[in-house]
Amino acid sequence: MTAGQHDPGQQDPADPDPGLARERTSLAWTRTALSFAAVGVVVLRKDVIPGLIILCAAPVTWQLGRLAHHLRGRLELVTATIVAVALAALIVVVTH
Amino acid sequence: MSAATLEAQVTDTPPAGPADAAGEGTEPDPRYTFANERTFLAWSRTALALVVAGLGVVQLLPPFPGVPWGRHVLGVPLIVFGAVVAVTAYLEWVRNQRAMRLRQPLPRSVMPKLLAVVVAAMGVIAGVVVLVSALR
Repeated sequence: MTAGQHDPGQQDPADPDPGLARERTSLAWTRTALSFAAVGVVVLRKDVIPGLIILCAAPVTWQLGRLAHHLRGRLELVTATIVAVALAALIVVVTH
Repeated sequence: MSAATLEAQVTDTPPAGPADAAGEGTEPDPRYTFANERTFLAWSRTALALVVAGLGVVQLLPPFPGVPWGRHVLGVPLIVFGAVVAVTAYLEWVRNQRAMRLRQPLPRSVMPKLLAVVVAAMGVIAGVVVLVSALR
């Protein structure tokens, strides 16, 4: 039986990660971390310090997805970081 | 990664729900919780892309001839909308998590319509800026 054939309402005790939900979620965190890295590199070309700060958000996001499955406030942290990046970008755009 | 770490991860508890919804209802199927989290992450990446697009328009594009405000009128709304998408993604994640705990139907997401309207509006504004720049 492949992972995709699971009935969503049914749990298979022999399969600790039915449908590979955990793995797919972990990969989604990795993609999000890579997005932060990409933003950091783009900003780095113009402003070094803010670029490095955003670049640091990438490994933090990656670790959030890997380690802290029961840690509260992970998603809040991601949201707050994006809003902070947007605010910084707005300040840069308006003042330049 | 060692086998012990991998085992610790796969037998781990699913992600915790929002603090205000943790007490009510019953824990949904972990797969639904994971899917809700992935949806939030996908919208977060969309938000980041919008912010970068706005930043790129202002900083990397050459100025539109005859339209000095052209780049800002495109970039600033994109950046602001990026922040709006990030916050909305979080609020919808909380809402969906609560609905799943209470076994209620999932509320409809406002995001696809919001994104479509804003992207279309940005396209129209970009067209106007290019047109005005060409006519001057």
